[in-house]
Amino acid sequence: MNRDLALGLLERLRVAQLRLAAVALIVMMCVTVVDVFLRYVFNSPIRASYDLVEAMMVLFVFNGMSTAFLQRRNIVIDLVDSIAARGAVQFLIRLSDLLTIFALGLFIYAMFTPALQSYGYGERKLELGLPIWILWAVALIGIAGAALCALAAFLLPAISRRDEPLE
Amino acid sequence: MSASSIGAIGVIALFAMLFLRVPVWIALTLVGFVGNAIMSGLAPTFALAGTVPFDVGSAYTLSVVPLFVLMGEVASETGLSSDLFKAAKVMLAGVRGGLAVGALAASACFGAVCGSSVATAATMTRIALPEMRKAGYDAGLASGSLAAGGSLGILIPPSIILVIYAAIAEQSVPRLFAAGLVPGLALTGLYMMVAVAVANWRKSYAPASDGLPWRVRLAAIKGPWQFLALFVITIGGIYAGVFSPTEAASIGAFGAIVIGFAGRRLSISHLLRSIENTVAICGVLFVIVFGANLFSFFMVQTQLPSLLAQGAHALNLSGPAVMALIIVAYIVFGCFLEGIGMVLITVPVFLPLVKQFGYDPVWFGVIVVIVVEVGLIHPPVGLNLFVIQAHAPDIKITSIYRGIVPFLLAPLVLIVLMFLFPQIALWLPRALYG
Repeated sequence: MNRDLALGLLERLRVAQLRLAAVALIVMMCVTVVDVFLRYVFNSPIRASYDLVEAMMVLFVFNGMSTAFLQRRNIVIDLVDSIAARGAVQFLIRLSDLLTIFALGLFIYAMFTPALQSYGYGERKLELGLPIWILWAVALIGIAGAALCALAAFLLPAISRRDEPLE
Repeated sequence: MSASSIGAIGVIALFAMLFLRVPVWIALTLVGFVGNAIMSGLAPTFALAGTVPFDVGSAYTLSVVPLFVLMGEVASETGLSSDLFKAAKVMLAGVRGGLAVGALAASACFGAVCGSSVATAATMTRIALPEMRKAGYDAGLASGSLAAGGSLGILIPPSIILVIYAAIAEQSVPRLFAAGLVPGLALTGLYMMVAVAVANWRKSYAPASDGLPWRVRLAAIKGPWQFLALFVITIGGIYAGVFSPTEAASIGAFGAIVIGFAGRRLSISHLLRSIENTVAICGVLFVIVFGANLFSFFMVQTQLPSLLAQGAHALNLSGPAVMALIIVAYIVFGCFLEGIGMVLITVPVFLPLVKQFGYDPVWFGVIVVIVVEVGLIHPPVGLNLFVIQAHAPDIKITSIYRGIVPFLLAPLVLIVLMFLFPQIALWLPRALYG
């Protein structure tokens, strides 16, 4: 598989994850608004709104990260950019890309055990009745997608802020 | 090696990584992970690293963050800020420096809904700077008032930084939102006093404009009614105990979308852009919170904050002296650390120390946000200053530096006032929640 094809596929993955996170955000907002409306107007709130918001949070948080990783939006202190040589800065950006992949890999590895435990114990959301292992699976798939997007960032040129045109 | 020494090495390693351009979340994660592994072994550390992201990512209390960010993003797209500035301009017609004061008032109101300093500074610069320059305002005064006004967005509730602080310091979000209101309004007033003082001190900086009848002024307030409704419903709802912060944020975001569409100020493409920005902003925020949690566990184990407290006692330092040192440290950190990163890195270290000296964590939260605000506007690296220069490249950065200097007095005066009268921050939360 050539580099451009891989980058194109990973960009599609990012967009798909972004859309999933966007849908989760809208659902979270609408469920809460409807819940408040039904509670105050008809005294009949949505029973599982709390659980639903928590479930949507998992979808939102773990799928929302990919854009930050692929577009290298994570917060850095870029003081060194103004004092170090361009090559040194590019090396540091590459190093950060590698550390990002490593740290995400660390989280994925660490999350497997509690995810399996959740499956084994058969834990469920109290009101929604949703098995919690499904949320763990969503989280793991989301963070794996973010790791792939971080890998894509590693394939992209290392550009520091001073190389970008001023807004 | 003692636990505290390991903690100190961890903090040094953290800062070294930050200076080497390692993203804040990775520096926190790696130092937190390695530190916890040294302190308590690999297996418990993996257990911690496995549960922290899921606990943070499924926390109902943190759902308030994306929803308030969405509200701010939509409010930015709908042009509510323009109505606010127009109303403030008419209200203050005839006052020397009125446009600068109007920009500050509009920034405070818009920042309250938006919650982001940079977005407030950028939006208000686009709207108010051309008018101020057309009216013959000095570039320094104009840019200084806009930079200062932009920083108000993170103190006046809803404030994302206060939500993040609440999560890391285990404090109540409504209580912190209540605590931020009076200092936020006080800071707005202080900034206005600075603007009027500068305008009257150097009359050429702000030519006087013609006054308007009161009938016209009062009519102008009707312009931004949607904004007032949004603020009263969301923040008023939290204060009155009608809504939880998540409910208020959902209603605020939904209300901003409805107002936008009803007034034909918001299109589907604007809304999609707002949602996309919200996802991207929160993607950055939540990974930092993952890392900060790991780092926080590490700090607790090292007992470094206790050691700092013991050191302070050994040196016979009083509470105010320790707080003064902490504030100086924050101002120094503000030279190179971004606001939320600064809160997440420093609060686990400083908060236990602050508590030991008998200060209220809610009061400290407000102090932290004020010093973060100072970091956003103090030369040479205040982010808001660069935001303004990015929108007005013809204004020299040295003019912006000159313009912001008098405004720096205002937050410092407020900090002193909050030391002397902690009730400035604590009165409202106590009145509302006991």
